[in-house]
Amino acid sequence: MIMSNFIFGRYLPGNSWIHKMSPQAKLLISFFFVLVIFLANNLISYAMLIVLILATIVLSGISISFFIKGIRPLLWLIIFTVLLQILFSSGGTPIFKWGIFSITDQSLINGGYIFIRFLLIIMMSTVLMLTTSPLALADGIQTLLKPLKRLHFPVDTLALMLSIALRFVPTLMDETQTIMNAQRARGVDFGSGSIKHRIKVAVPLLIPLFTGAITHAENLSTAMEARGFTDSEHRSKYRIYKWQKRDTISFLVYILVAVLVILVRK
Amino acid sequence: MDNTIKIDHLSHLYDDGSNNPVYALKDVTLTIKDNSYVSIIGHTGSGKSTLVQHINALLKPTTGELSVGDFKIEPKTSNKNLKKFRQHVGMVFQFPEKQLFEETVIKDIMFGPLNYGKSESVAEQLALEAMDLVGLDSKLAEKSPFDLSGGQKRRVAMAGVLAMQPEILILDEPTAGLDPKSHREIMDLIYRMHIDRQMTIILVTHQMDDVVQYSDQVVVMDHGEVVKVGNSTEIFNDPQWLIQHQLALPSNAEFAYRLSQAGYQVPGNLDNIWQLAKAIIEVGEVDHE
Ligand SMILES: Nc1ncnc2c1ncn2[C@@H]1O[C@H](COP(=O)(O)OP(=O)(O)OP(=O)(O)O)[C@@H](O)[C@H]1O
Ligand SMILES: [Mg+2]
Repeated sequence: MIMSNFIFGRYLPGNSWIHKMSPQAKLLISFFFVLVIFLANNLISYAMLIVLILATIVLSGISISFFIKGIRPLLWLIIFTVLLQILFSSGGTPIFKWGIFSITDQSLINGGYIFIRFLLIIMMSTVLMLTTSPLALADGIQTLLKPLKRLHFPVDTLALMLSIALRFVPTLMDETQTIMNAQRARGVDFGSGSIKHRIKVAVPLLIPLFTGAITHAENLSTAMEARGFTDSEHRSKYRIYKWQKRDTISFLVYILVAVLVILVRK
Repeated sequence: MDNTIKIDHLSHLYDDGSNNPVYALKDVTLTIKDNSYVSIIGHTGSGKSTLVQHINALLKPTTGELSVGDFKIEPKTSNKNLKKFRQHVGMVFQFPEKQLFEETVIKDIMFGPLNYGKSESVAEQLALEAMDLVGLDSKLAEKSPFDLSGGQKRRVAMAGVLAMQPEILILDEPTAGLDPKSHREIMDLIYRMHIDRQMTIILVTHQMDDVVQYSDQVVVMDHGEVVKVGNSTEIFNDPQWLIQHQLALPSNAEFAYRLSQAGYQVPGNLDNIWQLAKAIIEVGEVDHE
């Protein structure tokens, strides 16, 4: 089905080292990793990052097929970017030339690197999404943004909005499935036919989906108000995610690899 | 056309790729005769909805197969020819009012017939008929479906399915959340469809009284398996067994069961209130002697 390709909001509960890390640590490490990716610029440095991410994936205990599925929806974007890079970048010795397009050895290598970068970033964010429950994720973001409170940035409200939004991702996905099934039973053919047809059949899917979402929002806000919600209170938490030893250890490993990457890069 | 439904060693696995996938259906073998009224019962999560969605080819078996008349659905059946097949099998989902989307009630009801190639005028005719069947005032035809009450929306959604004139009608808890009067009207309507139009009815329900009142055949599901098939007398004569499978008793059987627990011997298989009344009178007479 369409939905099963979708990684976002698909938390897979588990008991691995990665699952048990605190969300703020996972977020920080993910950002850090993305920065380090942009430091890598030769084969060895990329190889190190690939080993690191593979080790992370193994440690998360999630089957690799999930990661392959996560890449599939983005495949066209990746191919497009890589092609642009190959066709339009300059420098290096030309191998092939046609009009404004030229393929050089350098552009091929660059294309390859960009491809690897995409893969690395997708893998990392997939690990993050699959091992962290949406609520924990929102909590992690809140923790990381806490310093902005001094600037009167509404961190708590933002985190609440985020956690509500994340909370409803699975609900809306289920609902999409249900509505698609109901319209299929009424003779709609999703996912085939001309572009015009595909746009036309989106209407019986999107309208119920939106009205459903609005109903959910209204119900939720009524329920919150009925229970005396205001956004000015200081809220306590049911689950508290503390920075743990395993977070420090994981971070140190990533820093170590980052240092190595800096040492081996050109 | 013969619309016998044959389900043969069908299993269904919801594979979300996680490490512990669940078999929502395990080796289900079941035959549903043409023109019968079948109730499917079982506690929550037992696989009822999953089973009925196979009959409409909305889900495909992971292993095993299913056939409706001449049409066969196997794990590798392509998605191409399903539309024609679905025309014969109407499906009213749990909370079907979620599927409404058109500007007006009549347009929404016409949606199905139009999709299956009926002309505007024929579709409109069918829609008006369906509105009448489900007890919707024709004045509502030009209203927005979103401005109706919950019960009215439910009827619009049902009309949308009936307007397609299916030969098999599947209903997944069609009266959940409705008031008692609407509940009765909808159950009556379904029964009328069954009698007047010879529709095969497959009803998923938690209302045991409806099961007893209407169905020829009852299918009990538990943990993805069909654990018992029979008529309602056969199914409901063993209260212990039902309780063990987390099922409720129909009110008559419940009453009789309570009486027997209190030490009065009444027979277990009571199909209707009259039998129950008779049984109670008999027990009373025995007591007097
Ligand atoms: N889309 C899905 N993805 C994964 N698992 C599912 C999905 N739909 C149902 N299941 C699982 O399959 C099993 C059977 O579900 P199903 O909806 O068929 O039960 P049901 O008998 O209709 O229950 P209810 O009476 O609550 O409607 C449950 O364990 C459920 O968690
Ligand atoms: Mg169900």
